[in-house]
Amino acid sequence: MIDPTLALATRGLRKSYGSRLALDGLDLSVPAGVVYGFLGPNGAGKTTTMRVLTGLIHADGGAVELLGRPFTRRDRHRLFDVGALVESPAFYPYLSGRENLRALAASGAPTPAGRIDEVLEIVGLRDRATDPVSRYSLGMKQRLGIGGALLNDPALLLLDEPSNGLDPAGIVAIRETLRHLASIGKTVFVSSHLLAEVQQMADVVGIIASGRLVREGSMQDLLVSEGVVRVRVEPAEVATATARLARLTAPDRVTPSRMEPGWISVQITPDRTSEVNRLLAEAGIFASGLSSGNDLEELFLTLTEDTTSGDPDGTFAGIDPSAGRLAPNEVLS
Amino acid sequence: MRLFVSALRKLAPRMATLLTFGLLAGMLVLIDVAVVATRGAVEGGPGRPGNVLALITFPGAYDQILSFILGLGGLFAVIYGAAIAGSEWTWGTLKTAVARGESRSRYLLATFAAIGVVLAVGILFAAVVGVITAAIGATVAGISISGIGDRAALEALPEHFLRGWVAITETAAIGFAVATLARSQLAGIGVGIALYFGETFAGLFLPDVVKYMPFHLATAAVGGSTGFAPVPSSAGPVMSIDTALVLVAVWLLGSLVVAAGFGERAEITG
Repeated sequence: MIDPTLALATRGLRKSYGSRLALDGLDLSVPAGVVYGFLGPNGAGKTTTMRVLTGLIHADGGAVELLGRPFTRRDRHRLFDVGALVESPAFYPYLSGRENLRALAASGAPTPAGRIDEVLEIVGLRDRATDPVSRYSLGMKQRLGIGGALLNDPALLLLDEPSNGLDPAGIVAIRETLRHLASIGKTVFVSSHLLAEVQQMADVVGIIASGRLVREGSMQDLLVSEGVVRVRVEPAEVATATARLARLTAPDRVTPSRMEPGWISVQITPDRTSEVNRLLAEAGIFASGLSSGNDLEELFLTLTEDTTSGDPDGTFAGIDPSAGRLAPNEVLS
Repeated sequence: MRLFVSALRKLAPRMATLLTFGLLAGMLVLIDVAVVATRGAVEGGPGRPGNVLALITFPGAYDQILSFILGLGGLFAVIYGAAIAGSEWTWGTLKTAVARGESRSRYLLATFAAIGVVLAVGILFAAVVGVITAAIGATVAGISISGIGDRAALEALPEHFLRGWVAITETAAIGFAVATLARSQLAGIGVGIALYFGETFAGLFLPDVVKYMPFHLATAAVGGSTGFAPVPSSAGPVMSIDTALVLVAVWLLGSLVVAAGFGERAEITG
């Protein structure tokens, strides 16, 4: 049964590469007219999903609906209403930005005359349009890639890491452009590692891990329901503290961090932070750090910690550690 | 049609295009310069091949120039076809077109059609450069160029060009298909060159099989004298040039079917 309010939906999507399962029954529901943040650690299946959605690869099972209609191997014309930037932007290095967009416009959906200049204006490359792409910076190539995705004025935009390589001003510009597109009824599906960026941009978030959807919902609802208090104790006291803190909530909502020894996440609303501190003090455990917030990153880490891998310096693959962590007690607007 | 025009626009300014046909024309010029510069030794030296001056002696020079272009052009065409097809995968531009809803096979075939046109223009360009250089060389060497307007030679040129173009396009299709299967520019070029020389050496041991292979057939289709295969094969002239031309067309179409079929089914990753 197709839901006409959804711009994009996947039902039980499965895909394997040999013996490795990349998508394991993925169900996504992307409402029309929103910015949807698609999150997951490395290897979670984000790029595989993007490839399936753009017809680059075919799923082993399950179904995809694009803009209210089924999308199968024979439905490539459905992509005429979709703009996509999958993985890194791809261009002929010896052609100029304008010539590359012209070459792109010759494929797929017919592109109206004058649209190339409009797109160059939107992505801020008008002045460099005649330069060969080989002389573009990474950020300029990324902008040109986004321009390519906008060429056919798509109803649904699929963007894989659109902020990759952009400077802060470029990130803000792209965010505003994508927000504007959503405000005029377009649907924007953004896969990103920059959690703070997604938090500022997305209306709805889907988080996947190991090829499955682990949480999906509006950003506001997720952040309200998924408050987190993080507390730091001596590593030797983690087990005792975890057991003690379980009294505040369900045991499965108290999670010692595997990547940051001594840190424990407690999924409770931030206004109960003092209870955490008091409970530990009563047990003779004194916290050396305490933070709370409704933070997408906390939520992400909590939901995907089993599938992320750490490294000795405390950073881990899949997440930009410098991006998006809020200061303790910072309240999100 | 817009895909084909776009493919042509992409190929025209490309370094691979300029390099391929620039090299071909440049080597013709160099050979003519060498012939003129050493003409005294060639004419007077004992045991020297007496027909070297034929390169700048009309009307025979027409055949010599074509023979050179179609011979070396066969190898260049394999590399060129592989370079163009492989770059679509290496640069990810095929991926971008497919993500826009473009038909994979149509995209690949339009790209190859553009290659065919570029090859025709390139052969013609190299031939014109060769004729001009040979005429200048003949003048410098004091050889009459009155044969340049020989009617019989000029009337035969279109057919020779057409046969040569089909043969060269077939070898480009081999490179195109190999690079598509390899999904890589470098791998496509490497395997294409290996096939080219491999077929030649295989001809020494398996002449009855190799005579049906693409590069030997290309040689046979243009009269057997152009040397598509770089070393003389013991396969020898075993079929009429018309039969060879038909088989060349079969290889050409077969290569394109393989490339389009593979492209249609391939999982595009990376």
